[in-house]
Amino acid sequence: MIRKTIVIVNTLGMHARPATMIVKAATKYRSDFRLIKGDTEINGKSIMGVMTLAAEFGSELELVADGVDEEFLINEISELFASKFGEE
Amino acid sequence: MKKIIGLAVSSGIAIGYAKLVRKEKLLIKRKTIQNHEIEEELLRFETSVNQVVKDIDILIEDLSHSKVNKEILTTHKMILHDPEFSIKITKLISNELYSLENAINEHFSSLVELFNNMNNEYFSLRSQDYQDVADRLLAHLLKQEKDYFEKLDENSILILENITPSEVTKAFEKKIKGFCTEKGSKNSHSSIIARSMNLPSVSGISKILSIIKEDQLIIIDGSKGLLIITPDEKTLKEYRELFQKEEDEKNKLQKLKNIESRTKDGKRILLMCNIEIPEELEQVLKYKSDGIGLFRTEFLFIGRSELPYENEQYEIYKKIAESCAPKPVIIRTIDVGGDKLSKILNIEHEENPNLGCRGIRISLENIPVFKTQIRAILRANSKANVKIMFPMISSVDEVKKAKEIIEICKNELEKEKITFNPEIEIGAMIEIPSAALTSDSIAEECDFLSIGTNDLIQYTLAVDRDNQTVASYYQPNHPAVIKLMKTTIINAHRKGAKVAICGEMASEPEFIPILIGLGIDELSVSPGKIFLVKNEILKCDLPKSAKEVETKYNLKE
Repeated sequence: MIRKTIVIVNTLGMHARPATMIVKAATKYRSDFRLIKGDTEINGKSIMGVMTLAAEFGSELELVADGVDEEFLINEISELFASKFGEE
Repeated sequence: MKKIIGLAVSSGIAIGYAKLVRKEKLLIKRKTIQNHEIEEELLRFETSVNQVVKDIDILIEDLSHSKVNKEILTTHKMILHDPEFSIKITKLISNELYSLENAINEHFSSLVELFNNMNNEYFSLRSQDYQDVADRLLAHLLKQEKDYFEKLDENSILILENITPSEVTKAFEKKIKGFCTEKGSKNSHSSIIARSMNLPSVSGISKILSIIKEDQLIIIDGSKGLLIITPDEKTLKEYRELFQKEEDEKNKLQKLKNIESRTKDGKRILLMCNIEIPEELEQVLKYKSDGIGLFRTEFLFIGRSELPYENEQYEIYKKIAESCAPKPVIIRTIDVGGDKLSKILNIEHEENPNLGCRGIRISLENIPVFKTQIRAILRANSKANVKIMFPMISSVDEVKKAKEIIEICKNELEKEKITFNPEIEIGAMIEIPSAALTSDSIAEECDFLSIGTNDLIQYTLAVDRDNQTVASYYQPNHPAVIKLMKTTIINAHRKGAKVAICGEMASEPEFIPILIGLGIDELSVSPGKIFLVKNEILKCDLPKSAKEVETKYNLKE
């Protein structure tokens, strides 16, 4: 299992498009993927879950991946966050 | 025997056996399920999700132009494929014995509420996505419920509380004799379709499902709005004869399908259809009309809480244009009074909407809305058979302004590298006396003119035809109206523009010789009236009619 903490750096926060991109990327891997924000923990492969997190600019998220390809999953998702989802 | 007067929705006589359909009860019944139905319900869940995903895929493919819409639809697909969604629904069905519809409703309404309550406006707007997906799924599932139409056959008269447009089409395919509803109005989409299919129908019969019993013999007299339950021998005989007479007449007219509409002396009069909703297209093609002389686009705007997107309009226009090609399709830009659009446009209350901001005026007041429609029309003209028509023109100025907007749209599309056809014919409706009187300058700017007789009569004679007290003043063949039409036709022909008539006057047999005598080139009527009008055209002799009109109305130049 890998854990990694990131901060949301795109100004619009995690709206529909980034949420869609995260789920799309995560679903490619076999590992479980969860996102934690404060007390809320959701399934990172669920668009409903990711969108209900309503993560805004500046909020802190913990990424948790567990499975055979966990490393690749975390890497790809972190890159997505770092690239600000191609927005700015 | 019992006679009840209702609303005359679609004319014609139907004699048949009542088949009652109770839609609502079926839905309520499905709120919960039995233990042994769980598996079937889960299977239904899987198939419906797969089907809706497939539908979305098709939509995505069609939307090759719009990136934004594509992204939204991709998100919708993801919502359907969401593992949590499937877990939640499965739980509701297996643990709580919810029916699938009920489970979907429950799941999405709680999500919609959750998003609505979020502080951030962007996130709260997401509730629309979930509502949309829920609507899609439910629409799909409810459609499957419609097997209650299975019992209908060619002797049936369908009895139900209310009917949707697609249900009218479906019942028509079962060859029913007619239908009768409790709720409904003359101008509902369902009624429009019934008329264009010549399907007799009466509406507005209260408690219809309790006063009529299954398999009772009933008669519908659609032109009178009359419903007769278990008629006596005498009435039945009378109506059978009447029905036979109508049938003979109809069969005679049907034979005209493959004959071109020409006057006796050989002048070709194009006979086209007026349509209000895309569903009428089938009749237009079936009756082999010469195209669509008036495609009203109001259905896209009325009764909605948001404006239709360019792509939505484009898809509809394209489908109609391609199905009719190479025959012409004349799309009229939005023609409603501001009162009907108050929900989506910011329009002030008007004391007199008939003389207010309507027709082209509304378009010129709301340029972005107008541009969206023009762009969609320009893009839909891939087969070069689409024409644009502007309603409520009162002088050439509006035509010029509207044409400027068309040019702006063309430039924009070109810059955005979006495919469209720059060659498009432009026409104006002549329905205000001032437009008829200045039709020379209007014709100068147009490729064709179309006389909207309903409004032209109303504005010339200052009479509201829906007002019973003054209805007798509404005379389509009033000399003033005829003179305005003659002026329009002469002016248009001088400038090389064709003239059509698209008001109701064009579908009344007694007026056809007058219109032809005046020199019109095209008639556009409701699909259900095509053969009736064609029959009159074939009987007409142009030189004779022209002379008669000239003498009667003193039209010598």
